[in-house]
Amino acid sequence: MNITPCSIKILKGLYDIAGVEVGQHFYWQIGGFQIHAQVLITSWIVITILLGSVIIAVRNPQTIPTDGQNFFEYVLEFIRELSKTQIGEEYGPWVPFIGTMFLFIFVSNWSGALLPWKIIELPHGELAAPTNDINTTVALALLTSAAYFYAGLSKKGLSYFEKYIKPTPILLPINILEDFTKPLSLSFRLFGNILADELVVVVLVSLVPLVVPIPVMFLGLFTSAIQALIFATLAAAYIGESMEGHH
Amino acid sequence: MATALMAAATTSCSPRRAAPLLKPVASSSSSSARPRRPLAQQLPRLLATAAAAVAAAPLPALAEQMEKAALFDFNLTLPAIAIEFLLLMVALDKLYFTPLGKFMDERDSKIRGELGDVKDASEEVKQLEEQAAAIMKAARAEIAAALNKMKKETTAELEAKLDEGRRRVEAELVEALANLESQKEEAVKALDAQIASLSDEIVKKVLPSA
Repeated sequence: MNITPCSIKILKGLYDIAGVEVGQHFYWQIGGFQIHAQVLITSWIVITILLGSVIIAVRNPQTIPTDGQNFFEYVLEFIRELSKTQIGEEYGPWVPFIGTMFLFIFVSNWSGALLPWKIIELPHGELAAPTNDINTTVALALLTSAAYFYAGLSKKGLSYFEKYIKPTPILLPINILEDFTKPLSLSFRLFGNILADELVVVVLVSLVPLVVPIPVMFLGLFTSAIQALIFATLAAAYIGESMEGHH
Repeated sequence: MATALMAAATTSCSPRRAAPLLKPVASSSSSSARPRRPLAQQLPRLLATAAAAVAAAPLPALAEQMEKAALFDFNLTLPAIAIEFLLLMVALDKLYFTPLGKFMDERDSKIRGELGDVKDASEEVKQLEEQAAAIMKAARAEIAAALNKMKKETTAELEAKLDEGRRRVEAELVEALANLESQKEEAVKALDAQIASLSDEIVKKVLPSA
């Protein structure tokens, strides 16, 4: 991780298009705070892609669906099925959260693999998948934490906190620890997978520029999709877990 | 700990100092002639260089370089992404999840209702078919009855005609027989007269002098 950017920099003259700059950020200053502009820009593009395709496909729903509408109906059914499996019968209000989580992460991951960000030059750093930045994944993981706390509290009220001393009060520290490990594991899993995936592709491209990286790129696409699915599934599972009654 | 490691990495990554040091690592795949040292052996040297660099570099420069390679650099991006996500969630809910979900549910219930209607209609069709069968049966019975009646009528008429013919024939026969009888009697009478005259003549002839 530390050595790769150096070696990449050495090889940058040869494989400029494939280079990656780990931990390099293009900063904007907003009211005295710093912000990673490349993450914001790519997330805007991802959001534009999502909203644009949704508006085009679902603007005027037909009884017999056209191609785009059919695809989005399939996606919606998939998300509903996922939410229903994890949360149970009261999954309805959580479909937007789980669905947005899945779609945002999925499109972000695939944008990192498929869109030629390198064409756009930044003064510093480079454009990559928004999920490539720890800020994004931690933000999503914290939102998930907030979501499952909200789900539990709105369902059970203050008796939600009884789960910390179930099955026995001895487990109290571990139960509290769980609330920290959940967002931590969620965010680091996604961040690590996407970053590692891009690094593997970059290193392979720098070593063997032809043919060999292609299967790894496809593997990367697969991993990206799976990571989005895992994040959404786990978020739904956490929400379902905090909503279900312990007997 | 991560910060310290990062600092070391950052400093060692600054091109002017670290490039000669790192070249063997990067190009080790191609240079098999040179004795290769494992990374584990290089690491202490690398760290030492990094530490030296850290010691040598003035603090602002270090801060600047740390900023350059910050992998775990939390700042305003985090809340910005969180807010963006929430906005995206609301927008997608308004544009996609709620309307399309509602549309799909409505279509589902409509299709289900129509399927139910079709089932009812099939019962209706059955009823109609039964009705049609009953009508056909009645019509067939009517036709059969009419046919039978017609047959009976025709037979009776024919028999009546036959009877009449037979009667006429019989009457004619009786008349003819009566005619024949009377003719026979006349003939017999005539014969009797002739027989008397003949016998007279025979007597005259046989008895010459009667």
